[in-house]
Amino acid sequence: MSKRYALLPCNGLDKTAGCISREIALKVEERSESEIICPVFFRVAEAKYRQSTQDRPLVVIDGCQTRCASKLAAEKNLKIAEKITVTEEAKKRGQQIGASLRLGSNELALAEAIAQQLLAEESKKEKEVKRAGEEVVAFPEKYEYEIYTKDKFIFRVPKGEQFFFNENDCWAYVIGHRARVGVTDFVQQSLSDIMFFTPPTIGAEVEQFGELGNIESGKAVFEIVSPVSGKVVAVNDELVSSPERINDNPYEKGWIAELELTNFENDRELLLDFKSYFNILKRKVDSFHV
Amino acid sequence: MSEDTFMGVPREKIDWSPRIDYSKCNYCMECVKFCPHQVFEVREHEEKKLIVKNPQNCIVFCRACSKTCGPDALSFPDKGEVTRKIKELREEMK
Ligand code: SF4
Ligand code: SF4
Repeated sequence: MSKRYALLPCNGLDKTAGCISREIALKVEERSESEIICPVFFRVAEAKYRQSTQDRPLVVIDGCQTRCASKLAAEKNLKIAEKITVTEEAKKRGQQIGASLRLGSNELALAEAIAQQLLAEESKKEKEVKRAGEEVVAFPEKYEYEIYTKDKFIFRVPKGEQFFFNENDCWAYVIGHRARVGVTDFVQQSLSDIMFFTPPTIGAEVEQFGELGNIESGKAVFEIVSPVSGKVVAVNDELVSSPERINDNPYEKGWIAELELTNFENDRELLLDFKSYFNILKRKVDSFHV
Repeated sequence: MSEDTFMGVPREKIDWSPRIDYSKCNYCMECVKFCPHQVFEVREHEEKKLIVKNPQNCIVFCRACSKTCGPDALSFPDKGEVTRKIKELREEMK
């Protein structure tokens, strides 16, 4: 079946990566039923694209980490279905992007590879990984919280001996050899409306303090810093279509991933319990404006 | 405000802060705007218009500013190595 995306490239004319974003959009548009959204025209004549952005899954193509296209989508309250950053894709593929604004054969090949990936991409639902044979550990659906308030902002920290935290505002809830991991209210409040979740890869081995995916708002990208080491055995797929669950409650429906622990006794040394984290959180909240 | 210790280890013993690749940096100052910890300093009239002035203010294991950097000019030490070092230091302090 042919894809019907709404394609939003950053179209950055003064950067090579921005020019590549345009090339990718063109290539996908030519070979599918997709429609390109011009970011410049979108700003002045939003109505022109209203239909398209409502009916089709939105693919945002940023050239670089300045994320102009993502920020535009955030500003216009659009739901992002898929997201590509050209410089990141180049890195993943071990490719260099040249300095000339006219695309050379390398840049065109990169654009082609990314376009093909988008054209082949199954919808997120289709590619959901089945966890055959995995034991399922039941994590509680509700926790008890201690609350700290500053102005209109409410910060919850879950209580309980099974909760562990790191100073990077991520938590782990440990049951036996399994841990569920997520971010705390401090992250979610600082980012405000979260609009995109990049999950970690199932099966990946993560070190303590290693990266467990990213979450992103119009304001910033937050790298999830794993409190524990282990293998990723589950990801909260719901967050891909509803990242706002992290804003609602980052401990319950907004959890990020589950890990099979490999060295928890060792990890524990560098983790905080509820009480220590709550004190750190209070200090952080008091010293920054969110 | 910055912390003096990280998990009980004096902060100055932990090597964690951004490194600026001056061949890539275009002095857009997005990183400076983003980080609330006064890690960077802007130097209008010098050749290197941006320096890492207070590396110890940087939150250990944070890499957030690098995600605001368009030309990808910021890098950080290896997390695994830093973690090992912290554990060693804690051992020594026992
Ligand atoms: S964000 Fe990157 S390019 Fe901009 S000033 Fe900082 S290091 Fe330089
Ligand atoms: S890594 Fe985090 S704390 Fe360190 S300079 Fe960057 S934004 Fe600031």
